[in-house]
Amino acid sequence: MRHILKLLLPAVIPSWRFFDVIAPSPRLQFALLHSATVSSGEKSEWREFRPRPAHLSFLQMLGRMFWNPERNESLFLISCAERILQQPTQHSEDEILKRIIAELKANHAGLTGNATHLQFRLLLVQRQDSRLQQQIVFHSRIQPLSAQEKT
Amino acid sequence: MNFDDAVRLTEILLGFAFAQQSIEHFTRFANERHLFIPRFVLAILLMIGFQTTWVAILLFLLGLAMLHRFQGPYNGGSDRMSLLILFCLCLVYIAPTQRWQEMAFGYLALQLVFSYFFSGWVKIINPEWRSGRALCDVFQFSTYPVSESLRQWSKSSRILFVMAWGVMIFELIFPLLLLSRISLIIALIIAASFHFANACLFGLNRFFWIWIAAYPSILWFQSRFIMVG
Repeated sequence: MRHILKLLLPAVIPSWRFFDVIAPSPRLQFALLHSATVSSGEKSEWREFRPRPAHLSFLQMLGRMFWNPERNESLFLISCAERILQQPTQHSEDEILKRIIAELKANHAGLTGNATHLQFRLLLVQRQDSRLQQQIVFHSRIQPLSAQEKT
Repeated sequence: MNFDDAVRLTEILLGFAFAQQSIEHFTRFANERHLFIPRFVLAILLMIGFQTTWVAILLFLLGLAMLHRFQGPYNGGSDRMSLLILFCLCLVYIAPTQRWQEMAFGYLALQLVFSYFFSGWVKIINPEWRSGRALCDVFQFSTYPVSESLRQWSKSSRILFVMAWGVMIFELIFPLLLLSRISLIIALIIAASFHFANACLFGLNRFFWIWIAAYPSILWFQSRFIMVG
């Protein structure tokens, strides 16, 4: 109950600090592993999770005013990534793993091939003077792809 | 706008925003559907005005369950504004007198003003915002732009400088725009356009729907406390 109140308080007494500082930005990447290579740690290449499209038309943007589940889920995953970087929690790691697995099964079944496991990592992108720098800051546990959704 | 009309309009707009959010979760995980299907039904009831006191209280309890399920807001500021509006509506329903009802609804109106003013304040005290660099960073490397082509906007530093100052000045002067009915209506149109642009460029569609759900409170607040006589 105390925990819920702690989460509720910023809503009823908000601070309204939108975009006050443009902090280093997390990126989410995942890699697929095969059962034979899980122990050795050998992975296929790291892929960006849900890369943004090259271009969106105004009509597509307008449509997203009413139907935007993937984007809102991606924003939630970024929140989970930020929580992991501030104070790692099992919940945030579970949420990211669960949603990557669900996305792969639903939309990218061909990508998984013979892969049996999944791992994700977080990169931080930030500007140093005029150049962008990337830094790997977190590796998740290795999760079997067969992991079922908790209900 | 009188008090009853403002509360009713808030219920309709809030119900629509919740219904839109909830539908997005129908195709997702079972343990999310358990929260969002009842939320959708309650949102429709709120829109049609059926037993609004109980419906709002149940929606607030569902909001707490969502906070627990996602260990915080699912979509940051928009979820927080959702809870704030619901919290104020619940206070309006259970308040013993008209005076307390007005204080609860007035609190929502004041928070709406603060949401713009303090967002402007925290930006203008940051040198990176004053130089236009912060907005360039948003487009260059933040997670927000919805497409890669939008990243190119970071090269238009002069335009972004003007946009950054435009946003900061508008947010900071927002409280002054309450002084007349016409300036407030223009301010709300500009603010809604600002949220619409954020929805298009950064995919923040929930902010648009939920912020306009709070607008009736400020229209009532102005006619009740500022435009007296």
